[in-house]
Amino acid sequence: MKTITFDQIKTSSIALEFDELIPDEIYSWTEADFAKYQVPIGNSRFPITDFFDITVEGEANGPEEVEMILNGDLNRVKYIGCKMSAGNIVCNSSVDLHVGAEMSGGSILVKGNAAAHAGREMSGGYLEIEGNTKEFTGASYIGEWRGMTGGQIVVGGNAGKQCGECLTGGRIHVKGNCDILAGIHMTKGLIEIDGDVNRWPGGQMKNGNIVIHGFLGRLLEGFVLNGIVVDPEVEGTTFKGKYIHYTGDIGLNGKGNLYLGAEANKEKLAEYGELDDEYTSIREYRNL
Amino acid sequence: MEYILKNGIVYDPANEINGEKMDVMFKDGLIVDNVSADAEVLDVTDKIVMPAGVDPHAHVAGPKLVVGRLYRPEDSRRGVTQKTKVLRSESGFSIPSCPATGYRYSRLGYGTVVEAAMPPLEAKHTHEEIATIPQLDIPAMPLFGNNWFVMEYAKDNNIEDIAAFVAAWLKISKGYGIKIVNPCGSEAWGWGMNVHGVNDKAPYFDVTSKEVIVALAKANEMLNLPHSIHIHPNDLGHPGNVPTTIETMDAVKGIKKGKGAAEVRDQVMHLTHLQFHSYLGNSWKDVTSGAEEVAKHFNKADNLTCDIGQVTFDETTTMTADAPMEYDLFKLSGLKWTNKDIECETAAGIIPCIYSKRSPVSTLQWAIGLELFLLIEDPWRVCLTTDHPNAGPFTRYPRIISWLMSNEKRQDMCDNEVHKWVHKRTLLPTLEREYDFYDIATITRAAPAKIYGFTDRGALTPGYRADIAVYDINPNDIDPSKQADEIEKGFNVADYTIKDGQILVKDKEIVKVKESQNIWVNVKGWEQNEQKVIDNIMPFFTQYYSVKWENYPVHDHYVSNPIRVDVDGK
Ligand SMILES: [Zn+2]
Ligand SMILES: [Zn+2]
Repeated sequence: MKTITFDQIKTSSIALEFDELIPDEIYSWTEADFAKYQVPIGNSRFPITDFFDITVEGEANGPEEVEMILNGDLNRVKYIGCKMSAGNIVCNSSVDLHVGAEMSGGSILVKGNAAAHAGREMSGGYLEIEGNTKEFTGASYIGEWRGMTGGQIVVGGNAGKQCGECLTGGRIHVKGNCDILAGIHMTKGLIEIDGDVNRWPGGQMKNGNIVIHGFLGRLLEGFVLNGIVVDPEVEGTTFKGKYIHYTGDIGLNGKGNLYLGAEANKEKLAEYGELDDEYTSIREYRNL
Repeated sequence: MEYILKNGIVYDPANEINGEKMDVMFKDGLIVDNVSADAEVLDVTDKIVMPAGVDPHAHVAGPKLVVGRLYRPEDSRRGVTQKTKVLRSESGFSIPSCPATGYRYSRLGYGTVVEAAMPPLEAKHTHEEIATIPQLDIPAMPLFGNNWFVMEYAKDNNIEDIAAFVAAWLKISKGYGIKIVNPCGSEAWGWGMNVHGVNDKAPYFDVTSKEVIVALAKANEMLNLPHSIHIHPNDLGHPGNVPTTIETMDAVKGIKKGKGAAEVRDQVMHLTHLQFHSYLGNSWKDVTSGAEEVAKHFNKADNLTCDIGQVTFDETTTMTADAPMEYDLFKLSGLKWTNKDIECETAAGIIPCIYSKRSPVSTLQWAIGLELFLLIEDPWRVCLTTDHPNAGPFTRYPRIISWLMSNEKRQDMCDNEVHKWVHKRTLLPTLEREYDFYDIATITRAAPAKIYGFTDRGALTPGYRADIAVYDINPNDIDPSKQADEIEKGFNVADYTIKDGQILVKDKEIVKVKESQNIWVNVKGWEQNEQKVIDNIMPFFTQYYSVKWENYPVHDHYVSNPIRVDVDGK
C-alpha cells in the first residue's frame, strides 16, 4: 500500500485541476516526482508544491494500492478523482466541481459538500459525499444523453437540481432531500431519496426506478398511477413498507417506475379515495 | 523562396506519374520545373509525394455547423487540445471547431475543401466561418434545388432566366457552383412532407424534381461553369431508392457540356454520397445493397461522376439540407434532433448518428460504400468522401484508404468485426480489387480537381499552385494489402503539407498557420440578363424575405483575399 498525503499550504482563487493526480497516473510517483509536477490552474500551470506539502509513504504496484488523503480547504480544487479506475481518495473538506466524474472504479470519500457534477458520467466505483451536493449529481454533461452508467453514489445530505439526469445505470442514494427534476431523462438504474422532493422527479424518463421515501410536492402529468404496493423489490433491494407506484413518463411511452412512500404522502393517498384502474395522475395533478 | 523536394516517390495521376523517384520544385508559391542552386533542399527520400488533397464534398462552414456545435457540446468535449505557440486550442470530433477543422485537414495533407451546402441567405455567415478555418482554400456551393425562383422558372422551362439567376446568385453568395439537395423535397418539408422519386411535385409549385434537375443542368452548361451540377438526389437513405438514383442519373442524358471552363471536366452531373442512394428492398427489414446495380449503370454513363460518403463506424453528427430525411432518422433513432427552415431557399436538419459495427444497417451502409468504390471501374469518376460529418469525420480518410488498399483487411472485418448482413446482403466479401497508391492519388486529388474544373491544383504541373503533401510511407517497402494499419498510420499525418509554396506541416507538426481563401466563380457576359431577373423578382423578394435586398449579398469585406475564377459565360 502507498499513502500519498496532500497537506494544503496555500489556496488559490482560481481552481486547481486534479484530473492528472489520480491513482492511475501517480501510483509510482515519489516525492521528487511531485516536486517536478505542475498543476493546471486556469490557462497556466504552477508547481503543485506551491499549494500542497506532499508526503509519500509505502509502495504501490498499481493504482489499486494507492490511497490519497487530501487535507485543507479543497473548495477550489476540481476534478478530484476524475477518470480514476482504482484506488482510494479521501477528501477531508468540501470539494469543487466534477469530483469523481467519469470514474470507472475505486472509491472517493468527501467529508464535506461537493459542487456541481459530482460523479458525472461515472461508470463504476463508489463515491460518497457526507454533506450536500449541488446540481447534476451523477448526471450527464451538457448535451450528452448518456449519463452515469454504473457504480454507486451516496449523498449524506441534500442533492441539487437534476440529480441523476440521463441516468443510464448504477445507483444514487440521497439521504436528505432532493431538488427538482431528479432522474430526468433516465433510462436505467435506481435513484433512492430518503427525504422530500419538491417537484417533478422522473421527467421524460424511459425506464429505471426512482424511490422516494419522503414527501413529494408535485408529480409530472406523465405519470400514471399503478396502485399501492407493499414491500416492493426494486433492483434486488426490498423497500419495507407501503408505496404508491406510478409508471412514466407516458409522454415518451416510458416504462419507468416511481415509488412514493405512502406514509409521507398520505394526503395524496387520501385524495385518491377508492382506487380504480382509470385513476390517472393527470386527474391528480389537476386536483393539487 | 525556392525549394526542392528531393528524391520522393511521386504519384501525380494528372501527369501520369506513377511512383517515379523524382524531385519536385517550387518557387514563389508555384510548381516550377527548375530552380537555382540556392534552392532550399527538403530531403524526402523514399517518401510518397502527391499533390495536396482536394476534398470535393464536406460540411465545414455555415449555420448547420454552428447549430451542430451548439446542440452537441458533448461532441466538442472530444478532441480538446491546449493552445500552443503556433496553434489555437482544438475541440470537437465530428464537428470540430473552425481552427481544428483547418489544422486537421492540413495534417492529412489536404489543401482544398469544398463546403458542400451554403444557403444563399446564410452565405455571409458561411464566409465568416470560412475565414476562421485556417490552412485551406474553401469554395462553397450555394443551394438551388429548392429555391422558389428556380422552381418557378423550371416549371416554365425558362432555362435562360435560371442561368441568369444562377450567375447573379453566385456573385451574390460568392459561390462556386450549383448544389441541389433533395430537389423539391426540402421545400415539401415546409409542409411536413417529402417528395418520393423524381416525378413527384413540390406542393404548390407544380414542378417535379426531375424538371428542376434538368433545368439547372442545362443552365449550368449554358453558363460554362467549371463544375457541373452537384446533386444529393431524392430519397436519400430510403430502402428501395435505387430506381430514383438511376432516374436521376438518366435525367441528364443528352445534355451537352458547356464550353471554355466547362471543358476541363467530363461530367454534366456529380452525384454526391452515392452510398446513401444505393439501397434495394422495401423497408429496413428486407433492405439489401443496390451497389452493383447503381455501379453498373454509372459505369455505362460517361457523363457522371460521384463521391461516396463512406461510413466509418463512428459516433458522428448528420447535417443536411435534406430536412425531411433527418426527421426520418429521428424517428428511427430517437436521438435529439433539430431542424431549420431557410425562408424561400431550403431547410436543414441535424441529428447525432452512431454507426456501429454491431448494427446491421450501419454494416450494410459501410459495405455499400466500399462496394461502390470497388465496382466503379474508373477512379477518375469517383472521389473519396465521408460527406463529413454525415457518414463519419474526414479525419478517417486514412482508414478508408487502408480498406481500399487491402482486401485482406476487408475480409477480416467481414468475418470477424461487422454484422453478418455483410455476407447475406452485400457483395463486399466477394470483391477482391485493391486500390494502389496511384488510384488513391486519383480519388483524393486528381479526380476531384478535374471534376471541379480546377486548373491550378490537384496536380504537380509547373505553373500550378505549390500544394503538395509528403507522407512517411515508402511504397517500395510496404505491402498495403498486408499492412493496412501502417497505411492508415502513414496517411494520418503528413510529413510535409505545403500550401501555395508555404510549408504548413513539417515533420508531422503544424509549423505555420495560413489564412484560408474562398474560391468563387464570376460569370461574365450575363450582366444584363442578371439585372433583368433581379428586377423581375424584386417585388416578391421585398415581400417575402426577412432581409432587405441591400443586406442580402455577401459584401466584399466578408471575403478577404478571395480567389475569383472568371468564367466566360457566353
Ligand atoms: Zn447531402
Ligand atoms: Zn453533404
